[in-house]
Amino acid sequence: MLERISYAFRETWASFKRNVTLTAAAVVTSAVSLLLVGSTFLIQRAFDNLLTRWKGDVELIVYVRSDASPEQIDFIQEAIESQPTIIDVSKLRYLDQAESYAEAQKLFAGDPGTLRLLTPENIPSQFKVVPTTDDSNLIRELGESFRSVEGVREVAYAQDVFDVVSRVSQFIRVATTVMSIVLLMVAIGLIWNTIRTAMFARRREIEVMKLVGATNWFIRIPFMLEGLLQGLIGGVLSCAGLWGLNTAWSNAVTDFNDTELAALVVSDGYVRWVMVMLLVIGAAAGAIGSGIAASRFLDV
Amino acid sequence: MIRLESVTKSYSTEVTALRDASFEVAKGEFVFLVGPSGSGKSTILRLMNRQEQPERGEVWVAGKDINAMPDSKVPFLRRNIGNIFQDYKLLSNKTVFENVAFALEVIGRPKHVIKQQVPAVLDLVGLSDKEDRFPHQLSGGEQQRVSIARAFVNRPLILLADEPTGNLDPATGEGIMRLLDRINGTGTTVVMATHDQRIVNQMRKRVVQLDRGVIVRDQERGVYD
Repeated sequence: MLERISYAFRETWASFKRNVTLTAAAVVTSAVSLLLVGSTFLIQRAFDNLLTRWKGDVELIVYVRSDASPEQIDFIQEAIESQPTIIDVSKLRYLDQAESYAEAQKLFAGDPGTLRLLTPENIPSQFKVVPTTDDSNLIRELGESFRSVEGVREVAYAQDVFDVVSRVSQFIRVATTVMSIVLLMVAIGLIWNTIRTAMFARRREIEVMKLVGATNWFIRIPFMLEGLLQGLIGGVLSCAGLWGLNTAWSNAVTDFNDTELAALVVSDGYVRWVMVMLLVIGAAAGAIGSGIAASRFLDV
Repeated sequence: MIRLESVTKSYSTEVTALRDASFEVAKGEFVFLVGPSGSGKSTILRLMNRQEQPERGEVWVAGKDINAMPDSKVPFLRRNIGNIFQDYKLLSNKTVFENVAFALEVIGRPKHVIKQQVPAVLDLVGLSDKEDRFPHQLSGGEQQRVSIARAFVNRPLILLADEPTGNLDPATGEGIMRLLDRINGTGTTVVMATHDQRIVNQMRKRVVQLDRGVIVRDQERGVYD
């Protein structure tokens, strides 16, 4: 048994050294594709976080004209508070123009064009309204009734933003999933090809092995080990990349503290779980790809 | 030991390599398969270790119908059969010792067995002093002896030889034949395909003659024709 194991490792290592370029290509491709798979998971998770945050949060924003008088603002507040069955009055928040401007500075940090147009004088102040109900029709009906109140500039529904974000996240999900599947296929194809080349380089040995009665598994295992190792190394590289990407992303997002964007941070626990999965996928793809290649070329 | 029953094998619709061939080889026998190139000699050898499977008929080796056997059992059949080829099929990156040891290594024999059996078989073929040479440092006759050592190191029941003297000069070929005769003397069944008339006439063993895939003669202590 020990002889067989040491034989398999010796052969795997020898083959690795023989095909450095092809091996590197297979490893890099699997690393990139696995990195994409991992990113897909993290992006989806981030969007899910964001969406959950919004779901339980502000549903309705009543924007007040920048030129509204204090009386008008008081009247709007009364109108909102007169609906305690639908609205959680204790959570009602009013951001005056200064506060709204400060919020806008963060929200539009990536959009200096819009930011330039805003001043603390022309920006609308806003009521952030948290409803007690989940019934979006009821909320919409209520929102429409606020539109006619004097001094109200606009009523925005979180549901609308929510729908847009959902659609974007759906699109990104499909796009990244398709891309990672394609790249994963390419990686398996490259691993397949390195194994085929490795087997071709050793076809005389394989022929002799078959003639003296080596079992197919005995011949196959060093090649499968080689493919598995290629996938695994690709997996390790992709984990390092994913960790780096996520750290950079988290740092960037935490700068927007207090805004909804902070929800886009993914917890380290989830990242670790994704990393373990990448290693498993890499190893499995490598072993299966090379195993199939080996079986296919054993019938010589 | 080996029995072919009405075996037909064709490689394509036009080429029939073997047509309704039947013959039997007893344990410990030495049989020459003779005939011109393409007459089906190699096909018979390849059918005997299941490198090929026939369209019709049965091939029995050591009491088993080897075409009814699942693929997973084929390696164990082949451990009872040694193979020798005209081009030796030695691995050029391995020494004489390693080439012979390889045959034991890949069927999972432990190191101490290899250390004991390889020198013994190299002694039998007369290459004890060359175990660290590489194939390209040996003469053709010596290379064929290495390949015989590799085929015989596992003490197979059967030795299949395909034109083993084809690349050798007559004197060297005779040496190889003496070696095969000695191995046959230990009880190993030998089936050898050849078109070397001199060797067949000298050895006076059983001769099975083929012509375009058909067995046309089967003669004890025969000559080439």
